[in-house]
Amino acid sequence: MLELRDVSRRYGDVVALDGVSFTVRQGQMRGLVGRNGAGKTTAMRIVLGLAEPDQGDVRLDGAPIDDDARRRIGYMPEERGLYPKMRVTDQLEFFGRLSGMEATAARTAAARWVERLGVADRAGDRLDELSLGNQQRVQLAAALVHGPELLVLDEPFSGLDPVGIDVLSAVLQEEAGRGAAIVFSSHQLELVEQLCDSVTILDRGRVVADGAIPELRRRHGGRELRLVVAGGGNGWAKGLPGVTVVSSDGDEVVLQLDDGADTQAVLDGARAAGRVEAFTPRSPTLAELFREVVQP
Amino acid sequence: MTTDDPAAPPPAAPPTPTNPPTTAPMTGRQAVFLVIRRELVERTRQRAFLISTGVTLLIVLAIAIIPGLGGDDGPKKFDVGVVKTGEAAQRLADALPRVNLGERFEVATRTLADRAEAERLVEAGDLDAAVDGEEVIVKKELDGDLEALLQLANRDVRAQQALAAAGVSGEQAAAITDPPPLQTAAIDPPDKEQDDRRSLVIFGVFFVFGQIFGYGFAVASSVVEEKSSRVVELLLAKMRPGALLTGKIVGVGALGLGQLVLYMVVGLVAASVTGSIDLPPGVASAFVLVLGWFLLGFAIYSALFAMAGAVASRAEELQNTTSPITFLIMAGYFGTFAAIGDAGGLMARVMSWIPFWSPLVMPVRMASGEVPAGEAVAVTVVVLVTVVILVRLAARIYSGGALRTRGRIKLKEALASAARP
Repeated sequence: MLELRDVSRRYGDVVALDGVSFTVRQGQMRGLVGRNGAGKTTAMRIVLGLAEPDQGDVRLDGAPIDDDARRRIGYMPEERGLYPKMRVTDQLEFFGRLSGMEATAARTAAARWVERLGVADRAGDRLDELSLGNQQRVQLAAALVHGPELLVLDEPFSGLDPVGIDVLSAVLQEEAGRGAAIVFSSHQLELVEQLCDSVTILDRGRVVADGAIPELRRRHGGRELRLVVAGGGNGWAKGLPGVTVVSSDGDEVVLQLDDGADTQAVLDGARAAGRVEAFTPRSPTLAELFREVVQP
Repeated sequence: MTTDDPAAPPPAAPPTPTNPPTTAPMTGRQAVFLVIRRELVERTRQRAFLISTGVTLLIVLAIAIIPGLGGDDGPKKFDVGVVKTGEAAQRLADALPRVNLGERFEVATRTLADRAEAERLVEAGDLDAAVDGEEVIVKKELDGDLEALLQLANRDVRAQQALAAAGVSGEQAAAITDPPPLQTAAIDPPDKEQDDRRSLVIFGVFFVFGQIFGYGFAVASSVVEEKSSRVVELLLAKMRPGALLTGKIVGVGALGLGQLVLYMVVGLVAASVTGSIDLPPGVASAFVLVLGWFLLGFAIYSALFAMAGAVASRAEELQNTTSPITFLIMAGYFGTFAAIGDAGGLMARVMSWIPFWSPLVMPVRMASGEVPAGEAVAVTVVVLVTVVILVRLAARIYSGGALRTRGRIKLKEALASAARP
């Protein structure tokens, strides 16, 4: 569906993107994470044609992206913006029609989305009369109103209350379920982990990790084991071949296993030391993974 | 760097979309149309717009109606008394209508018993003057027109008396004292039609100035509003800057034009109903003159104002970025007065050729019949060329500046970063 190939962009001396590539497929949700200034927004703006890449290209369904293709995208910019004095449904209808919808279809879709996002009672109000949270819901509706095949959302969760986060999560899952390709950026890594099947981690304009989240965890975190051995303390693990003690607290130890290490040998060693109450393979969270691959 | 995620769901079985695609490829023209429509709908909805239109209409009505009520009182009226002192007094009263040539004045005479009555009535203001023998009694001073009438009548009476004493009477005497009046032969007789058209155009040009200034500024503030509210980013993800700018200028301009037509039609209808002016055959050409020059002027100034909006990022900065334009249009406004004062004068002629001022100076000069057809065409061409250049420049600066939503942008930077005009 969406494909970025070796995209680079400089602003003066600042390298915003340096050979960035990633893909988003139909029905897939991809998280774009990275520190502030890592290049997430620049990447999204290049997809929308709001910035030009110095090098590389963006393809949609295999063809270089053009204006018509861009109208099929639903976009939520980092800096939210709609017409403050325009009424909510008029506004949604306007953006729906700008994306090529017929007037009646746009009106119906606008009504459906204000309903779905819980702002139906404010549909006739001017945008600036709404609370910021509700304005954000309208912003999301503006991205969704034309039933886009691709959603590009820059920090869609920031500024939402917990209920809003739940609503947005559910909507994104529905959209992916109907076949939309979704890419969004976020600093809330637990949310990304929970929602996305794959992730791209950017650091200083470069992709430092990219792929399915479980795969990345396996690849980057190596194998870790958490054991609780009653009365065993933590001395028993030392000296086992290929095993490093990561941390220990009373009877609990976290071990890192090298590629050649044998989990059964570890279990045998533990049983020799005491009663084994827990033996859990453990992979790093996305947050841990992030800290590992991103330079401080 | 791309990894094809092995864990991603197989792409072979995409879920069925719940809402089928309702979008169709759209042309730039459709986007322009949508922007025009939005400008018109949202602007006419604003209460401030409705109020200002209403207030202006009231002013137009007042201007159109008031001269009709006060201006046409007919000829000047005088009440004159003559103290009855024999035949001479009666003769004077009789002579007054005779010397009132062309009946330019309405003179009512009455006979008074004595000087006391004359003084009383003049004092009370019932009479403008009273003649008592050799004297004219007035309260403060004698009106110039009335004085001329009375002196002429007196001469007439004296001449008649002298002629009678010399034995000349009847037709002979009348031929001497009442000769056929001189006829007027005007070299450049006033043209009622052209005069009406000229005053109509002058009236219209003030509105043209107001509309160009007001709606030009509206373009600038609309550009800035989209930048400061950041909605421009969403808009430019859907259409090219050129389409957005075109739609904005055409939409705002159409509203300004519609309002101008409304003001002029209401003004004309009111004026003709109350009789301030007769609708002359020149009305249609006056209309074309005013509206045509409005369109040219708006094209020029809206392009300038769009640039001023593109290089600002907040409404507060507009005052700075638009001030050169304000200065320019104010100079043109004063040029209008030069053209009203002397349509063929050097200043008006020179200003006509400067495209920023032509739209304000030319209609007045043209309505005054002071512009040869060749010059009118040539000036129009100059203005049109300027419009083309400015609109292109504005589109470039706008596409370079529209997405720069922070801080003031130098013109040079905006031009340099115009990537997708």
